[in-house]
Amino acid sequence: MSSDLQEAPTGTVDDVAVAPPLAQRAKSMAYAAIPYVIAVLAAFVVVGVLIAVLGHDPAKAFRAVLTNSFRNETGMVQTVHKWAPLTLLSLAFAIPLGAGRFNIGGEGQMILGSVGAAAVGITMSDLPMVVLLPLVIVVGTLAGAVWAGISAWLMESFHVNEILSTVLLNFVSFEVLDYVASVVWSDPGAGGAVTLPIGDGAVLPGIGRPPMHTGVLLVLLVSVVAAVMAKRSVAGFELRAVGLNERASQLHGIRTGRVAVTSMIVAGGLAGLAGAIEVSGVHQRTLEGIQSNFLLLGIIIGLIARGSLTAVPFVAFGIAVLEVGAGSMQRVSGAPVEIVLILEGLILLFLLMSDVATERLQRARAGRSARRASATATPGAPA
Amino acid sequence: MSGIRKTFGPVVALDGVDFTVANREIHGLLGGNGAGKTTLMNVLYGLYAPDAGTVEVDGSPVTITSPKDAITAGIGMVHQNFLQVDVFTVTENIVLGTDSTKLVAPDGSTQTPAQRIAELSSRFGLTVDPGARVADLPVGVRQRVEILKALYRGAKVLVLDEPTTNLTPQEVDDLFSSMRAIVDDGMSVVLITHKIRETMEVCDRMTVMRDGRWIATVDKADTTADDLAATMIGEIAGGDAEAAALAQTAQVSLGEEELGEASLDTSSEAEPEGAAADTVTPTPARVTVRGLTVAGKGGKPLVDDVTLSLRPGEILGIAGVAGNGQGELAEALTGTRSATGSLSVDGAELVGRPTAAWLGSGVVYVPEDRQRDGILPGAGITENLVLGSHRTRAKAGMINWRAARTEAVAAIKEFSVKTPSAATPCGQLSGGNIQRVILARAFAHNPKLLLLHNPTRGLDLRSTQFVYDRVRRAASQGCVVIVISEDLDEVLALSDRVTVAYSGRLVGEFARGEANPYDLGRLMTGVGA
Amino acid sequence: MSEFLTLTITAMVPFLFVAQGTMLSGRAGIFNVAQEGLMLLGAAVGYVVSLKAGGNVVGLVAAALAGALVGFILSWATTSLRLDQFVVGLALFFLAGGTASLLYRVVIGNDEPPRIAPLPDLVFGQDALVFVAVALSLFLWWWLYRTDAGMRLRSVGENPKAADSLGINVTRTRLWAGTVGAALMAVGGAYLPMVFSGVYADGIVAGRGWLAIALAFFGGWRPQFILAGSAFFAAMEVLAQRAQVSGIGVPHQFVSMLPYVATLVVMVFAFRWALVPQFLGKNYDRESRIVG
Repeated sequence: MSSDLQEAPTGTVDDVAVAPPLAQRAKSMAYAAIPYVIAVLAAFVVVGVLIAVLGHDPAKAFRAVLTNSFRNETGMVQTVHKWAPLTLLSLAFAIPLGAGRFNIGGEGQMILGSVGAAAVGITMSDLPMVVLLPLVIVVGTLAGAVWAGISAWLMESFHVNEILSTVLLNFVSFEVLDYVASVVWSDPGAGGAVTLPIGDGAVLPGIGRPPMHTGVLLVLLVSVVAAVMAKRSVAGFELRAVGLNERASQLHGIRTGRVAVTSMIVAGGLAGLAGAIEVSGVHQRTLEGIQSNFLLLGIIIGLIARGSLTAVPFVAFGIAVLEVGAGSMQRVSGAPVEIVLILEGLILLFLLMSDVATERLQRARAGRSARRASATATPGAPA
Repeated sequence: MSGIRKTFGPVVALDGVDFTVANREIHGLLGGNGAGKTTLMNVLYGLYAPDAGTVEVDGSPVTITSPKDAITAGIGMVHQNFLQVDVFTVTENIVLGTDSTKLVAPDGSTQTPAQRIAELSSRFGLTVDPGARVADLPVGVRQRVEILKALYRGAKVLVLDEPTTNLTPQEVDDLFSSMRAIVDDGMSVVLITHKIRETMEVCDRMTVMRDGRWIATVDKADTTADDLAATMIGEIAGGDAEAAALAQTAQVSLGEEELGEASLDTSSEAEPEGAAADTVTPTPARVTVRGLTVAGKGGKPLVDDVTLSLRPGEILGIAGVAGNGQGELAEALTGTRSATGSLSVDGAELVGRPTAAWLGSGVVYVPEDRQRDGILPGAGITENLVLGSHRTRAKAGMINWRAARTEAVAAIKEFSVKTPSAATPCGQLSGGNIQRVILARAFAHNPKLLLLHNPTRGLDLRSTQFVYDRVRRAASQGCVVIVISEDLDEVLALSDRVTVAYSGRLVGEFARGEANPYDLGRLMTGVGA
Repeated sequence: MSEFLTLTITAMVPFLFVAQGTMLSGRAGIFNVAQEGLMLLGAAVGYVVSLKAGGNVVGLVAAALAGALVGFILSWATTSLRLDQFVVGLALFFLAGGTASLLYRVVIGNDEPPRIAPLPDLVFGQDALVFVAVALSLFLWWWLYRTDAGMRLRSVGENPKAADSLGINVTRTRLWAGTVGAALMAVGGAYLPMVFSGVYADGIVAGRGWLAIALAFFGGWRPQFILAGSAFFAAMEVLAQRAQVSGIGVPHQFVSMLPYVATLVVMVFAFRWALVPQFLGKNYDRESRIVG
């Protein structure tokens, strides 16, 4: 009780503002940008040194990584085809993160989505496109949602840590995919765990040359809806409230358990959608390894975007560029592709650390100005 | 200690404080809430690093940067919130952090930890069961464990932070005699408190602090309770009426006024209409509670068969020592904890319905722990004001944030919240301003039943008075108010009717003016029930 | 049957190292979630160093040092910098995994990898690390519950503010508990190429790191119960492998799911026991004015 803060001498009742003045907001935006700049630069420097130590040319490597996406249409299409699942997987991580839950099961949910989509696409391949394509997308989404729902149920009803349950279900999903692709609808001619192709009506139409599948547009739509919902909707507010203070949210009428469960299920649906789009737009079947490393990258993107659903698509694009450029980097400079994963991980780690640095800088400044202010107010006070 | 200065960001918590404790004395450290008493002692104990100042022990300067240094220098501290490991036993908690193999008894022989603890507890009258898990012990015993912990480490100066808060009178007597025994043994005790009566009872000297500054140090023989009260409150800037109101609140919260008088003395500005109405015609009840019960883990209910009937505009005060089921009762009465029985507002039954339905029926809860239960610390004031009404104010699932911001600015003005902007995160505000935000939100719901739990804990006098005014105004508009408070004086000052929470039950009932603090005290300690 | 027992005892070793490492960090309040990455790193370092420096012992030491470095970064970032433990843990999981993969690629390239010599048997057809793992578990139990230092470590995970007030250095305790814990995890990873496969592969850990977290919960964060629980996890693993080879009329994919599904079922009960350090995963800020 007696340790409570004194009234802080900040602002008076008369000059209360809706938001800080523009100049101050611009300043705080600049502050927000500093960590990103520092983190990206530092990560590139460290990785550059690493590449040099390995005996390759860092300048050449970085040029290859960064320009490959923009050199021609093929690079661009490759990039947006990577961008689509990356965005969905990082939304699948970032949405439950808003409620303070960690969904590390994106790849399992995506695999189940791909299995659901493939199942419909293969067994109902004769249906016309207007029926089959939406059905494929919807079933894939639902399959992912159900898979995440298992973890959500274990979390709510039995308090099983969601990090563990989502991860363990990933390993289960690998076996499900293997069973489907090498036993149930195995393509005997393909060698390996690959299913039969889906019907023509289940394939997402492409645009342009080389063709970009229209799943990209669907993802664009989803990410706009997600950003608007997060900012303006009741659901977005409740999600944020639960993440900020679960107890207070509960005392103010928010059903926190329901919010957390819903966030997991929505996340699973988005990951499932990614699976359906990969089946319907890229591979026309499902196969072992369809999940690629989208889970890891999705988590990195979600964390770099600091859980902001608005920022996710932009960060995802940056990572997609790096991923598409990785192969070209290895060809051109000889630096191994694994370098890119290190680069991405370092960006994240440095971002976290430079957050701390800028925060301390700001606090030190505030402390200095406060000390100066009170020193002038009471000249006798010891400095 | 001299010239101690400590700031938290822009807030100056301690400003050049000097403080001296003599050998073999009990020294009272007096001050209102936010005076900086605890902060000063946390600096002494190495929990906070001071920005300036020096500390001397037995005449030689010492550098204390961590509790370890403080312990080495012979300083022990019993915090208000006990710093104990719940799952450890009494012995483990006492021994923790020491070397259990090198204990030397006063006669020079080696001792085991158990021997040392037994010796200390008999010497100072601090009875404990060494094998019990501290989580299972009552507050008074846990406090003895804390004192033993400090003595075990050879403390020469023992700091006790508001040690009597949750103790029964009997436990307070025991504590004071233990303190005397400790001082007689050649050590010194610092008693941090805001209760003048306690210092007059047990202290040899006292130091008064206010607003982070040293004000005075006096011998008990040279002062009176009234003088100390005046020193603690200081001069108050502003008009006479305001000063009078503040002084009155001060008297009430300091407990220096004759308590019987305080309970009769209603505030000048807000005579509750309900008080006048209840003497004339009986108004139908607005809130009816029957057999409200919250089951406990071991068969004994946490809230046991609470029945109440409350008229519009009535203020019911529930007094009691902390830990008698008040938290659970508050949550059960506001639909934030599941309970059995019945509670209806204007005839609508609410038990068993979700919290949102209670809120929708005008049941509003101002929780005790504001940081933990009251706000979203990382969200702006606007968002905090929207919390709870976000569903009702939304159209097609979307919230109109522009309108919400405009309302927030108006509420900030009306409730005099000190903040740079409506977008400032609530967690950055001071305790008083957080409570103002919570009240602004509570009143925006147009409450029919308003429940406040320890509503002025940790607030300065101005904010306390503000809370009281708002509560009385709400009652005058027909709202039923329940005030659950550990501060007996607060309960007596506000309530039309007073009851006592004891062991999960409500015992006794007094109308305004009939409440005798001594009878209440007996009920609170389970003597009169 | 005795062969099943032998295989199970061998399979217990990585689980024991990783789960005891998780437990040690966790009892001090550091919830490490980078096990999977740390095991990969340990496996890659252990393999590469054993191969190039000649000798499993050198490989194990190198793996432990690599793990310790990662553990130190985790503890430092979450104590001195007070960053979120899960976020930093995930970031280190990627980095450790990426480094492992890179290290292997740089040293071995795309050639057929040479096999390293397996750990030699000591007695009863078991290698030395089997005995080290069991002894470590017993030692940790004795140390945590029978020594002053162990009690101090437990107090830091239960109530760091109380520990701090008694002069226990919370930051230093967490630093070394997190560091040693992660070193044990890396040793658990290094055991895999030295006993099972003889070579490193990116999929070598196959979820054992995550299962070890489950084992720590299952064992109630107590070394003696973790020792017992590791037998169950190891038996599941061996059972799945054996059924896959011999065939029991069920598609092998379903048998392979068994360890993961069984763990999920077990977790339902483990979380009911709720024997979890109070401050697991929570950072401690001495000057925070909000009382935790």
